[in-house]
Amino acid sequence: MAKITVDARGMACPGPITMLVRAYRKAKKGDIIEVLATDPGFEPDVKAWVERTGNKLVELKKEDGVIKAVIEVTAKD
Amino acid sequence: MAEERVLVLGAGTGGLVAANLLAAHGYSVTLVEKSDRHLFQPGMLWIAFKGHPPSKYTMPVESLVREGVRLVRGRVEHIDLAERRVRLASGEELGYDWLIIALGASLDYSAIPGHEKLHEEFGDYFSSENDAAKLWSKFSRLEEGTLVVAAADPLYKCPPAPHKAAFLASDTLARTGRKGKVKVVLALPFLHAYPSKTMADIIEPELEKAGIELVTMFTVDSIDTENRVIRSLEGDEISYSIATVIPIHKGPRVTVNPESAVDGDGFFKVDKYTLRLEEYDDAFAIGDCSNAPTSKTGVTAHLGAEVVVDRILGYDARFTGRTNCPVVADGTAAFVISDYDHPPVPVKFSKLKRMMEDLFIAAYWSSLKYPERWRPFFRAYFEATSPERLGMRGW
Repeated sequence: MAKITVDARGMACPGPITMLVRAYRKAKKGDIIEVLATDPGFEPDVKAWVERTGNKLVELKKEDGVIKAVIEVTAKD
Repeated sequence: MAEERVLVLGAGTGGLVAANLLAAHGYSVTLVEKSDRHLFQPGMLWIAFKGHPPSKYTMPVESLVREGVRLVRGRVEHIDLAERRVRLASGEELGYDWLIIALGASLDYSAIPGHEKLHEEFGDYFSSENDAAKLWSKFSRLEEGTLVVAAADPLYKCPPAPHKAAFLASDTLARTGRKGKVKVVLALPFLHAYPSKTMADIIEPELEKAGIELVTMFTVDSIDTENRVIRSLEGDEISYSIATVIPIHKGPRVTVNPESAVDGDGFFKVDKYTLRLEEYDDAFAIGDCSNAPTSKTGVTAHLGAEVVVDRILGYDARFTGRTNCPVVADGTAAFVISDYDHPPVPVKFSKLKRMMEDLFIAAYWSSLKYPERWRPFFRAYFEATSPERLGMRGW
């Protein structure tokens, strides 16, 4: 199990979800991906992504304009 | 100042604009390029899906280079930033006072199982004009079935490229009476029809109008060329008759000293405003080979080249990250307009924008060779259409 941190703060286009997808390709089952983003669109996007891919959203919070999402990779073999 | 040696690596859009602009300012410039022809990369879409002749979109590099630019044919093998030296595959070594790296991105077909085989069978619209011609030879003969346009990664050159591919393909199918028989599926790694929701809301109805089937959150993970099925990282699959998958992009295939100058994917780490390499004030990276957080397009390479040249001339120029990615549909076009400080603003499809895009394409070769003469024109356009000026009312 590894923890992968993706810092997408200040990034609007192509966006934090892009960074998450790229991290997800390299991740293995049980890994934790932590994404930091400032793009307000990231909050609904990460929820939709987790729902679609069947992974687990462990934590989603906003502090001082920074959105932090912690995802546990559960959908990979 | 003009005695300083400037070395430009790569004669793509960024490299040619930088070299020719510096030559116009009296600098002696050495430009290294591995190929003898320059390819207008968006042309591959028109070759692959409209059957345009490949010769329309390539020019001898020599014919695009101004007096004052010494063109060296060769492949860059090693860049030594500490010693200020570049080694070519031939063994030749070149020194510099200023270095501009414009080597583009490299395409990795080996990362996705089945991708090399798929590429060999159908060609594509990303790697070369010959591969694009191969795709046309297959696509133009497809009488019924499914054409799948997909991507292996959300980070690739020209974000609206797959959309343009789907629009142009669907237009060709309509014109050749195959519309009901051949289905076009656009499968994208994004949550919506485009990374930006604002533009996705404008593009989606156009896709629907063209009869293109949209699949979102589909990042290609493997291709089964026996059974003609593509599987995604998200756990879905799509069957195809013909498929074209945008390959994973990496930085240029060169070794660099120090290795810390490039990121994990081989892209040169730059300051996003000055395009200067981190920790080296005499070296810049522009266009697709840099890690600047903006779209990888000809426009960003062109504008980045202007910024770098201005900085070499002593001005405090700054790159804004401005994009102007054209989305071409049937007889119309829209542009994806954004910069570092502004996400894409709403830009509607119109015939006028399509005419502007055709004008940009027509001006392409001339704007590479004589960038200083086109500069006032481009400056006026980019100022008038800055995302700040357009705002959320858009254009």
